[in-house]
Amino acid sequence: MNTSSTQVRLSGIGIVAVCLFAALFVRLWFLQGVDPQRFEAATESNRLRVIHEEGPRGRILDRNGRVLVDNRTTIVVALDREPLRRLEEDERAAVFVDLADTLTELGVPTKVSTVERRYGDVRYSPQEYVPVADEVPEDVELYLAERADRFPGVVVERRTVRSYPYGSLAAQFVGYVGEVNEDELASVEGEAVPRAQDGTPKEYQPGDSFGKGGIESSEEATLRAVPGRRTIEVNARGELLGELERTDARPGDDVWLSIDLDLQAHAERLLAAKIRSLRGREGGEGTLNAPQGSVVVIEPGTGQILAMASYPSYNPSILVNGISTDLWEQLNDPNNGRPLYNWALQGAYAPGSTFKPVTALAGWRAGVIGPGNEEYDDAGTYRLQNCEGAGCTFQNAGRKKLGTVDLARSLAVSSDTYYYRLAELMWLNRWQFGDHPIQDVATEFGLGAPTGIDLPGETSGRVPTPEQRRAAFESNPEVFLTGDWFTGDTVITSIGQGDVLVTPLQLAELYATIATGGVRYRPQVISQVTRPIDPAEPPGEPGNFEVVRTVTPEEVGRVEMDDDFYLRVLAGLIGVTQEEDGTASRSWSASPTAWTMGGKTGTAQVAGKADSALFAGWGPIAAGVDPEYVISVVIPEAGFGGDVAAPLAFRILAPASDGTLPTACTIAAAGQCREAESSAAQASLNDVGSGGPG
Amino acid sequence: MTLERAAAPPGFRSRNLGDPRRHVDVVLAAAVAGVLVFGLVLVYSATRRFDDGNGYVLRQLFFAVAGVGAATVVSLVDYRKVADWWQALYAVGVVMLVGVLTPLGTVVNGTSGWYRLGPIALQPAEFAKLATILAIAAYLGSVDEVDLRRLAGALGLLGVPVVLTLLQPDLGSALVFIVLGMGMLVVAGVRMKHLGVLVTLGIVAILVILNSGALDDYQTERLTSFVSPDGQSYNVDQAQKAIGSGGLTGFGLTNGPQTRGGYVPEQQTDFIFTVVGEEFGFVGSSLLLVLLGVVVWRCWRAAQLAADQTGTLLCVGVTCMFLFHIFENIGMAIGIMPVTGIPLPFVSYGGSSLLASFVAVGLVQSVHMHRFS
Repeated sequence: MNTSSTQVRLSGIGIVAVCLFAALFVRLWFLQGVDPQRFEAATESNRLRVIHEEGPRGRILDRNGRVLVDNRTTIVVALDREPLRRLEEDERAAVFVDLADTLTELGVPTKVSTVERRYGDVRYSPQEYVPVADEVPEDVELYLAERADRFPGVVVERRTVRSYPYGSLAAQFVGYVGEVNEDELASVEGEAVPRAQDGTPKEYQPGDSFGKGGIESSEEATLRAVPGRRTIEVNARGELLGELERTDARPGDDVWLSIDLDLQAHAERLLAAKIRSLRGREGGEGTLNAPQGSVVVIEPGTGQILAMASYPSYNPSILVNGISTDLWEQLNDPNNGRPLYNWALQGAYAPGSTFKPVTALAGWRAGVIGPGNEEYDDAGTYRLQNCEGAGCTFQNAGRKKLGTVDLARSLAVSSDTYYYRLAELMWLNRWQFGDHPIQDVATEFGLGAPTGIDLPGETSGRVPTPEQRRAAFESNPEVFLTGDWFTGDTVITSIGQGDVLVTPLQLAELYATIATGGVRYRPQVISQVTRPIDPAEPPGEPGNFEVVRTVTPEEVGRVEMDDDFYLRVLAGLIGVTQEEDGTASRSWSASPTAWTMGGKTGTAQVAGKADSALFAGWGPIAAGVDPEYVISVVIPEAGFGGDVAAPLAFRILAPASDGTLPTACTIAAAGQCREAESSAAQASLNDVGSGGPG
Repeated sequence: MTLERAAAPPGFRSRNLGDPRRHVDVVLAAAVAGVLVFGLVLVYSATRRFDDGNGYVLRQLFFAVAGVGAATVVSLVDYRKVADWWQALYAVGVVMLVGVLTPLGTVVNGTSGWYRLGPIALQPAEFAKLATILAIAAYLGSVDEVDLRRLAGALGLLGVPVVLTLLQPDLGSALVFIVLGMGMLVVAGVRMKHLGVLVTLGIVAILVILNSGALDDYQTERLTSFVSPDGQSYNVDQAQKAIGSGGLTGFGLTNGPQTRGGYVPEQQTDFIFTVVGEEFGFVGSSLLLVLLGVVVWRCWRAAQLAADQTGTLLCVGVTCMFLFHIFENIGMAIGIMPVTGIPLPFVSYGGSSLLASFVAVGLVQSVHMHRFS
């Protein structure tokens, strides 16, 4: 029997109940009835992941379509940190220990500390997968995939990395690929993003690959694939529930080089053998350290690079999974010869006597020498006019008396005094010829400025002038002895000494310009860009590619040379190899090419070091014959140009001249190549010690 | 009803207005059935991602059948006869609460609140709630006015399970005891002055407990995260995302992305409401709320119609228990109540809760059915 007071109190309970239910309804309406889209967006960020797929980079091929840089798949074990963050700390630690133990047991030694460090690695964005082990065998992939429950947040990914079928071949100018850094990312943001031919942007994300150095860098925009996107749905543990949207990646375009792999391999092999055979020997001015060396072979008339060898080299495959600081330092250590450097365009050397055609042309143009006025009696030394004292006498190498020399012979036997006289006459009459007639010709030939080759990192070398010296002194008086330019400076500049510096590439371009009678082409290492029609077939297979872009020869200047001058220079360069007392005649007889080669040797003196050995020239060489190969060889601290550089040049071009160039060896076929390599090394040993400097 | 009538012997007894079987609250039974079916569907959706064999649903169904049976038996027994046994039942409840604190109990998520019997986990607090309701109803129902001594006695009956559940520690259940106890005290006729003192003491006690460090950090955090939404925990955040994104009509059964992806932790138990919110939207959530509202209303109505004070208090206890469970469970999912692990009656997955809820409804039915006898 309920009293009325009980009924009142019960009503109170009822009112409270109604209020509570009302509160629930109001809140529910607020969540679901008012703008539910705001929650939809929030749940999407939860469960939807946009996966950016970089896609395979374009390949790098040689002029004949052989693949020099390819792609391969590597299996990477990585952490997906979102689900890992939701675990309790001890659970997560247990997963890491389990993962490290399991990987180690399966033959991929992994430390727990490494996994933990990677988990905390701030360089990766929270959404990104962080790799903990790469180059993982396929059975590990299977093992982990089957035990997803045991390893929450552990993903196994297949990534595409570079592969190098020819190992270290052409490593420096091909460059390598690494993870994109912040500066590089900034450089391709917004409008600067590279685009495919149809305009599709090739967007980047942190962690993507990016060309570092060489072709990989200069042709980044071409080689990069159009990335794909996958929108997937995942559950709370990061497991895939389904795919909502997919755009496949489109591979990057293939880049064809003008390089002939066979010639490249041959040049690299001989250069390496030569340098190894030199090292440790005693030369005139000290030990032959030969810390580095380079060879450039250009096709005159197009400017295409046929081979570009730089020693020492490295195998870029060691860089595909990232570069450790140690490795980076090793590759840039001067004591190792800086293997990452492409000395052919990053090294600058005194050209020595190889510079003489430049001085000759200046003298010829000035009229200091000319038809009927070109003979000079070389007494071995040259004394400046109106000058007294020890510093007034300049001499030939070894004070050698060369007797009566004309322009051609001055090149063939490498008379220095001939050029000293030219230089002094022009300097004394500078009211008439200007302060720097020799330097002007050098600049016309492209010295002292980057050649504009389609490779990054090129240095400009140096063509010294009185103005330049004054400016340098005024801006930094403590460093330089004087801001004045003396007669002697012009004199030593005339034989490529003093402050003159050229890169091996500039040297090759200089001789290519002479070879074509004065037409200067921009050196090019890329010949065309293609897209494969059937990606499964070899990219260089005729008929399996469409051409996206063709690189045409580009004339960048003309150097005026009259026929009289040209024929004399030609005769001089031929005399270097063909005349009995030519500076490279003995080397030539020891290893001749099938057609005649001509060129100029150079032995440049460097203070406190052994001489640099140089040679530059071309073949076939004869009036009215089209030159095919222009070569420059530069090896510092190596001795005489005629002994060291010239024979190397002949041996490099010999098989090209008679069509016996050995096929370049892939790593897979390395065994068959050992013989060729050791015979090349043997031949190089026999070359040393013939003529004299010059 | 038809069947019962056919089974009953002809004549006098079938027309007996006092026959309890004629006074079953059909609306209550129907509402419970509706909520139950709704709950089974939601459990199915919440568990199918890690349970292809539907083990959760089948286990839940098993307890539902057992629950219906228990409720039927309890409703047919006169609640007054049950109330006569209150001391024994209360003692059993307390012993079970003590026992679960010993090594006999199993620790789950840091709380020692379960007995593990093979595949079945028994949560004694769920049954202790019923025993306590029964005890207080019987203790206070026998007097017309609650004097201070009675009040003290009732508070004692209430205090023991509160302290024991706090020791587990199970803050949610302790709160349930306090709320249902308060409700019963109010209806039992405790003087307003005494109630005022009690409420004041309660508030002081809460403040002391919060500041004394007697609660584990995670519990304080849960309570305070509700007060300051910035520090909202992952669970609450995901729960609100799920419910909010359901919109008016929801994604449809098994189509809720949050549910499918398992983003809401404890979804089949404490956060079961997120499933209806996401997959059936405001319409479905409202329907479930209405059904639950009907259950509460019918329990409250049974209290009103009860033949005596014990019956009234019994129903008030059950009403307050359900009301608090519903408000706390749903309120936590939609972010207006702190997070405590309290099941949603007849919906959340869990045998003890389901069974206890059915027994509670059975008691209410008994009060309702025996009001004329």
